[in-house]
Amino acid sequence: MIRRSLGLAVPYLFIVAFLAFATLFMVAPTVMLAAQSLSGDNGITFEYLQALGEYRYIVAFRNSIVLSAASAFVGVVAGGLIAHTVLKPSAPNSLRSAVTSFSAVAANFGGVPLAFGFVATLGSLGLLTQGLKSIGIDIYGMGFTLYSITGLTIVYCYFQIPLMVIIITPALQSLRVEWREACENLGATPAQYWRMVGLPVLLPSLFSSFILLFGSAFSAYATAYALTSGNLALLTTEIGNVLSGDVMSSPQTGAALSVGMIVVMVGVLGLSAFLSKRASRWHK
Amino acid sequence: MKRLGTGGWVILALAAIYFIGPLVLTVIFSMWEGRGHYGFDSYVTLLQRPNIVSSLVISVELSLATCAALVVLLVPAMVFMNLYAPKLRPVFEFIAALPFVVPAIALVAGLSALFTGPEWLIGTPFYLVIPYFFLALPYAYRAIDVGIRALDLATLTEAGLSLGADLGQIIRLVVLPNLRTALVGSTLLTLAVVMGEFTFANVLLFHTFAVLINEVGQNAPTEAAALSTLSFLITWLAMAGVLLAGRRGGVQLSGAR
Amino acid sequence: MRDLPSFTLSRRKALALGAAGLAGTAFGGRRALAEDFKAVGSPALQAAAKKEGALNVITLPRDWANYGLLMDNFEKLYGVKIDDANPDGSSAEELQAIRSLKSQSRAPDVVDVGPAFALTGTTEKLFQPYKVATWKEIPDDVKSADGHWYGDYFGVVSFGANMSVVKTMPRTWADLLKPEYKGMVALNGNPLGAGAAFGAVFAAALANGGSYDNIAPGIEFFGKLNAAGNYNPVKGTTASLTSGQTPILINWDYLNLAIREGAAGKTDITVVLPENAPPFGNYYCQAISAYAPHPNTAKLWMEYLYSDEGQLAFLGGFAHPIRFNSMVAQGKIPADVLKNLPSADAYKNVKFATDAQSAAAKKTLADMWPKVVKLG
Repeated sequence: MIRRSLGLAVPYLFIVAFLAFATLFMVAPTVMLAAQSLSGDNGITFEYLQALGEYRYIVAFRNSIVLSAASAFVGVVAGGLIAHTVLKPSAPNSLRSAVTSFSAVAANFGGVPLAFGFVATLGSLGLLTQGLKSIGIDIYGMGFTLYSITGLTIVYCYFQIPLMVIIITPALQSLRVEWREACENLGATPAQYWRMVGLPVLLPSLFSSFILLFGSAFSAYATAYALTSGNLALLTTEIGNVLSGDVMSSPQTGAALSVGMIVVMVGVLGLSAFLSKRASRWHK
Repeated sequence: MKRLGTGGWVILALAAIYFIGPLVLTVIFSMWEGRGHYGFDSYVTLLQRPNIVSSLVISVELSLATCAALVVLLVPAMVFMNLYAPKLRPVFEFIAALPFVVPAIALVAGLSALFTGPEWLIGTPFYLVIPYFFLALPYAYRAIDVGIRALDLATLTEAGLSLGADLGQIIRLVVLPNLRTALVGSTLLTLAVVMGEFTFANVLLFHTFAVLINEVGQNAPTEAAALSTLSFLITWLAMAGVLLAGRRGGVQLSGAR
Repeated sequence: MRDLPSFTLSRRKALALGAAGLAGTAFGGRRALAEDFKAVGSPALQAAAKKEGALNVITLPRDWANYGLLMDNFEKLYGVKIDDANPDGSSAEELQAIRSLKSQSRAPDVVDVGPAFALTGTTEKLFQPYKVATWKEIPDDVKSADGHWYGDYFGVVSFGANMSVVKTMPRTWADLLKPEYKGMVALNGNPLGAGAAFGAVFAAALANGGSYDNIAPGIEFFGKLNAAGNYNPVKGTTASLTSGQTPILINWDYLNLAIREGAAGKTDITVVLPENAPPFGNYYCQAISAYAPHPNTAKLWMEYLYSDEGQLAFLGGFAHPIRFNSMVAQGKIPADVLKNLPSADAYKNVKFATDAQSAAAKKTLADMWPKVVKLG
């Protein structure tokens, strides 16, 4: 009995230690931020939160959510496929290591260097653009532009896909080959295997990865700014303008926008938990 | 299982083009010396910069310190939360998502207002480990979360307990080895996050590697491209090294068995 | 460390560019100015500074307004070590550094911020007052009466173009709308966040029927530029102008000229002030941190920057020093230098938007810009 309760003290200690650390250094500043969004010159005011209803902030919310969701979705699918391909037992070891280590680096290759590389490739005067033009395909003439949600999604995938590869690898490895063989023995096609065994097992991890990729795109700033100078309204660039710009300074607006972002993120977490629970009701 | 089929190779080929394209163009620009000449001038000038080694050292030290902090503080907490306090999951998920939505400069402002001392901590670059812990947290948390979900933690623990092991032994001998891949992934991501982190170090005026990259980028464009290329290569080699070290320790970064 | 760039290329080319071109390098180059520095400040101040032995500066890029030379020279003249942190930071980050680092030995001693931030810093009591020896020559509208902040140099909006991509140099605002410049014209950031970009919109307003009280025509101009497909939203930088990714960059004159000098030998960049339009300028402000770990060195630095030689050094970096008009009147600018600048009258007539006008313009900009300049 005593051993049992002593045994539980240590685990709870670790949990409490982590939560205390997080509260002190992360949650406390966040609360300050929330408080700042409500503080006007004469005490509490809702004007900054209300200002979030302005046209350009609504556009920023919409753009950020769409961009993050789209790049997260593409990242999950493409990253999952690539990870699956290199994790097959028939894939050479060196390929696996090369892809995994490259993914670790590319997952954090962002900001100005990434923007520079893509403008050089797909910008209006980029190499690929000019190359395609010379064989008769004028992508800018057809309406494509790198400086749009579509363009940004393409650029964001550069770090989203590798991120997915890294994250999903342990989950893919946990799919026992015996299950696959058992399915085949029972006459199932690969598609049926995936539909009834593979994907359901992976589903919680897929949701988890989606949240990470969404958050990663949602919080991206430097890449988007380098490509569009903030002309494509996004929450992060709007915050950047008011918090760390050279022209105007409005910490309360920045705080209000951050509160907005927190709400969106909590919404995504909640939605994901809800969907995940429904999906796993018939699993296990 | 069949060999890596044509489908597989097509996927990889497309991926290769997409990922290597922008890099190739960056490398080409880094070798541009004006008026159609190409060479390694920028690399030579770059390596003669005085701060390049010291800033790299600081960044690497910070990466390792952050990894250590995560392993000590985060991993046990997550394992125990899954075992004994699953109701706390939403709290963990919320904390793990916060760093995405609190702007760096706001976090700096908040931390600076709340914590004005002690000087021995705040004055050294190692003060950065605190915000870096949280910046890497979303990635590390998810990596380990996926790893934990792939295990049947409760059964493993119960089996171990019924065989007479205590909690410490179970963690060390059963849980952690099974989490090896996830831990490697989380280490890789943490290293990459810290090496690339710029805003905090910059606002607090510490001279890290990412800060140097940005400085170079402002007034020496070809050197900046050279630096991006070099840092990409160095980081890639380091990651490969981490993977190999993991493999030698008995870890299989093996395919789905 | 990199050598200072060579000047031989620019002189002939600069004269050939004509009156509208800016020929900053013609006055003997930066090297000559260095030898001419006389020590400033009282002996007591110099001694106190030497004892402190160090100076922490922040957000001073080496190729911005000749700060590289100014810093190197200060170190040599007074035996003091300068630590130059976060060269590419923004004014907001400078103030945050003062708040975060308070009196740590790494804290910044002096800052160089935009006017709005100079006011914020004064309100938050982040600065200590100081009046340099040449205080009276600083115009009243660009300094605080009690000495908390004071303008140091100003620049005007200019066009910089990479001549390997651009065949004909655009000379007026209307030129920018021509179809030959499709996808070429960029700013150095968002007008709501970057000082030079904000200045560009204001300058466009002045050229298209607006005024210091009315920035709307400038926003509409950029709307037209965007609709025509000529506006390139990529953030313009040294790299993007030199590589040709943003072949035309609207930026402060001293920045475009510095980029041109840095690219000498690699690619040709032409810099002009827009013709047939009133110049729009803006200035930056110096201030000493209230928590400066090296207050005496900070004061000596200020005396140094506002001395004749310091101000001429700014001019050597293509930025017009704040004492420019009074120095011209006193004949302190060498004649050959004056000859190669666009008429000093043009700069004498530079007016700055008042704080109220700036604030009103920002509000209009915040409302109108996202509606008028839209990306796909």
